[in-house]
Amino acid sequence: MDTTLPVIFDCDPGIDDTIALLGAFVSPELDILAITPVCGNQPLDKTLRNALQICELGGRPEIPVHPGCHRPLCREPIHGQFHGSTGLGNTVLPEPRKQAEPTSAVECLIDHLGRAARGAAPKVTLCCLGPLTNVAMALRMAPEIAGGIARIVMMGGAFREPGNRSMTSEFNMLADPHAARIVFSAGLPMTVLGLDATHQVMLLPEHVNAFARSSGPISRTVAELMAFWDRNDARRYGSRGGPLHDPLVTVWLLRPDLFQSSPARVFVETESPLCLGQTVADWFGKSGEPANADIVTHVDAQGVIDFYLHLLARYARRGAA
Amino acid sequence: MTGHRIIIDTDPGVDDAAAILMALASPEIDVLGITTVAGNVPLNAALANACRIVGIAGRPDVPVMAGAQDPLLRDQVLGKYALIGAFPERLVGRGAVEPAAERAAGFIARQAREAARTGCAITICAIGPLTNIALALRLHPEVSQGIARIVCMGGAFTALGHRVPWAEFNIYADPHAAQIVFSSDVPVVLFPLDVTMQALFDAAHVAHIRDTGGEAGTALANLLSEYDRSDPVRYGRPGGPLHDPMTIAWLIAPDLFEGRRATIGVQVDGQTSGHTYADFTDHDARTTVMRQVDEAGYITLLTERLTHYGTVAALSHRGSKGK
Repeated sequence: MDTTLPVIFDCDPGIDDTIALLGAFVSPELDILAITPVCGNQPLDKTLRNALQICELGGRPEIPVHPGCHRPLCREPIHGQFHGSTGLGNTVLPEPRKQAEPTSAVECLIDHLGRAARGAAPKVTLCCLGPLTNVAMALRMAPEIAGGIARIVMMGGAFREPGNRSMTSEFNMLADPHAARIVFSAGLPMTVLGLDATHQVMLLPEHVNAFARSSGPISRTVAELMAFWDRNDARRYGSRGGPLHDPLVTVWLLRPDLFQSSPARVFVETESPLCLGQTVADWFGKSGEPANADIVTHVDAQGVIDFYLHLLARYARRGAA
Repeated sequence: MTGHRIIIDTDPGVDDAAAILMALASPEIDVLGITTVAGNVPLNAALANACRIVGIAGRPDVPVMAGAQDPLLRDQVLGKYALIGAFPERLVGRGAVEPAAERAAGFIARQAREAARTGCAITICAIGPLTNIALALRLHPEVSQGIARIVCMGGAFTALGHRVPWAEFNIYADPHAAQIVFSSDVPVVLFPLDVTMQALFDAAHVAHIRDTGGEAGTALANLLSEYDRSDPVRYGRPGGPLHDPMTIAWLIAPDLFEGRRATIGVQVDGQTSGHTYADFTDHDARTTVMRQVDEAGYITLLTERLTHYGTVAALSHRGSKGK
């Protein structure tokens, strides 16, 4: 790649968010303009603090972190079930020295994307790892920023796969279904890594061991986080381990050849109490509406694991910085 | 009562114009800014109209800002008189102010957070769909702490059938935003159609506004004549309501109104989206729903306040003779 890809990570760390960010931090192909934590896996104060700590752990304290929305648009907040009480499992990271930026995530998004929309900066790829509240707010406050978004690459939704937080719904969609509907209705190029994709990449105990051997100074933390992530539920997932949800966003940016996708129209249910947050895909033009997303349907799981091992091994080469 | 520091969130709109002019003519009220939203007319027209109204009021010191151009979730609906669009120059004259660069929701949030820190809470007069205010409330948890009250024209409990048989326009146009506002911890003072339709301005009132209100009064009278709001079949007598200025009138003279506390809710989805319901048995509710207005008192207050523009014009005319 000749030039770097400007990206913003909108996230709610979160164990798998952490792994996704640690991979992105050592990818010179990516120019990470900002990290914008949101209320999701944990309340905002924790996802914000975790983001600051992760930047320091990954040796990227210069990346600005902007506090996002403190709650979903309409529904009451819900939080993740597999991230422990801090959002980082049993892992205890040092108190961050790094401070959050004074401006909010929504302001940060409007600022960066607005500049890109005016042609004063290259278009930005939004990497969305959490509920879409920040992005929806920015789009409603400043719709012209849509012109500054190159693509949204998001982890979220469940199409042919059942939900993971309710019977029908994936957590990020269920946590703010109204925001998801706003984003899917914005007419933006979108790549969607739903459970259909992420459940294809199980982080097995032997993978965890391999990461623990190869990730240099962050090995212990990575292994600890990954071990906590093991659902140990073969009935649900077909094996031990945990699905590698959010890191697939990082991998998609760098190695899109490892993924196959199909265009579809995605609708988000916001009304039904039973199916709230369900993402319904129209693969075959039944709705009469044009496709609004590329839904990832197939992932080269071994390729992803190998690539991520290669990625995190860069921390070993960087040494104990 | 000490002065109110207010933000007017508005979608002008003829009766919005009356509310803005009334507020800007009232010494009890300090208008921090005017934030616009799509509603009666599309956002660009609402912004242009607010700028013209502030221009004819001679108040370039009051910032006017653009806000949401779409409702949070529902498809856009515009007002019954959306064809008005931007007020034509032949009705309101020249001299619009330039809009400020800040965004409506950002301005509301910033003012409210500053107010929360200084302990000097602001009032929001919400006379359009509630999109901007909902966005501001979601921007930061401190925002609601800096807002003393939201005085809102919206909803209907018995006087239904204004825009659709089940809802009043401002709520119908963005029911999700309304629900966010009504379920926040900010006290709401609500002026539903039930009360706003009790006061009717007839041709004599409009003529009085034209005669005594200077350039601003003429512009408002032009608008009221051009977009006649009277409906004798519905109201049983001549004259049309001016909904939005009631929020301003209440800040100046609350004794003109009688209300009751009630918990209110909004139907956000389905065939009756935008329907408002109220539980008047909840006497501890944060919301006060206005039920009665002293019609003559309200009309007199509004028309008297607009004479300010006539007086200012006379004074400046006298002053400019020497130049």
